[in-house]
Amino acid sequence: MKDLLSILTQLGTGFLTTIILFCLTLIFSIPLGLLVAKGRMSKNIVIRSVVRFYISIMRGTPLMLQLLLVYFGPFYLFGIKLRDLGIGKIDYRDIAAVIGFSINYAAYFGEIFRSGIQSMPKGQYEAAAVLGFSKSQTYFRIILPQVIKRVLPAVTNEVITLVKDTSLAYSIAVVEMFTVAKQISAAQTSVLALFVAGAFYYLFNFIVEIIMNGIEKKMSYYQ
Amino acid sequence: MKKILSAVLCAAMLMTCFTACSKEDKKEGSSASDKKQLVVGFDADFPPMGFKDDNGEYVGFDLDLAKEAAKRLDLEFVAQPINWDLKDSELNSGNIDCIWNGFTISGREDKYAWTDAYMENDQVVVVDASSDINTLDDLEGMTVAVQKDSSGLAAVNDNEELKNSFGELLEEDNYLNAMMELESGAIDAVIMDEIVARYQIQSSGKNFKILDQTVASETYGVGFALENTALRDDVQKVLEEMAADGTMAELSNKWFGKDVTIIGK
Repeated sequence: MKDLLSILTQLGTGFLTTIILFCLTLIFSIPLGLLVAKGRMSKNIVIRSVVRFYISIMRGTPLMLQLLLVYFGPFYLFGIKLRDLGIGKIDYRDIAAVIGFSINYAAYFGEIFRSGIQSMPKGQYEAAAVLGFSKSQTYFRIILPQVIKRVLPAVTNEVITLVKDTSLAYSIAVVEMFTVAKQISAAQTSVLALFVAGAFYYLFNFIVEIIMNGIEKKMSYYQ
Repeated sequence: MKKILSAVLCAAMLMTCFTACSKEDKKEGSSASDKKQLVVGFDADFPPMGFKDDNGEYVGFDLDLAKEAAKRLDLEFVAQPINWDLKDSELNSGNIDCIWNGFTISGREDKYAWTDAYMENDQVVVVDASSDINTLDDLEGMTVAVQKDSSGLAAVNDNEELKNSFGELLEEDNYLNAMMELESGAIDAVIMDEIVARYQIQSSGKNFKILDQTVASETYGVGFALENTALRDDVQKVLEEMAADGTMAELSNKWFGKDVTIIGK
């Protein structure tokens, strides 16, 4: 019982890091994903090819490897001491995790958003033009709201995967929940902490599911 | 506009949160940030040398030694848990100043700038108490596990004859996995540091035994990056002081119930 209590309090601090990592990744990767989608559909062949290559690399290589590269890259490629890269009290380790997750998830989000944008019938653009909407008005007032509705289920999928993927940050020793769980289980020589961590992840995802379902319901105002 | 503002505020809040908790996690003791740091890299899955206690603090024999050494050198002590597979990258990229974590010198003499050895350790074979394995010869055809990139693995690799006698050699992520596999009967033996083996058996109460015959004898030291001999010399001097005034013996008694240190003897 005492064991369980100390596991819960310790995992709590790791859980906070996990949540922060999760939120920051979403905050950065969703806008970036929109940009990626735009670039992928660009008429300029250079931009289109570059973005296509970026998506291909991000989706085609392991996320753990990307984290290692973002983290150790500055040193091995440019010889910069990683300790100098931290901002104030924030370790570069934590920053690298946020960057790594964000650029990876932006690639997936980009493709999801593109599928949404391309699914919009051309007639809507024409109708908007006839009604005198400007290009940006058409995009933000007419296209984007419908795109959000259409891509929501796919985005939920990615968000739930992200919750679990945050545990990969242990590979660069970010002290998030999974790292803590492993440390506790080594100290207590029992696997109880790992199972408790599993329960935490499930609970987190359960809440994400409820929230996303709520948003979906709210968006289905035409049904 | 309101929404954008609240989003920005949220982000700012999260950032502060991140700062606050990384500060709590990693910076111990004095808050004087202009003080120079001694960042000690260690594998937090490695009791009793460095691990997380029930209060979530990083503790252990090696960390106690390091903390005392930092105090005497007037440096701010920072315990930085690392992924053991990546210890060289962490050290070379300047993330940590040294590796201080039951770090075996044997076989790594030329890779790091070492202090003198401060304690001895054997690589031992752990088997189930009911098993018929009593000597190294009995390991023939058996499935044996070691930790990845550990000195247990190095000791096995040095002993070609022993290695070839095994049925299979598995490299596990950490000792806990290896011990679980041993308990569940998936493997027959684990080769590991005696210090850790005794701690694991004692704290888990599992029914294991340690063979009298050892695989290798070795010593622990503190490893610095090759070019960082200045800091190495400082720490070496402090370690000798701590041995001379009895601090080291005191810490050893606290963790092992006896004085296991060898520096200055």
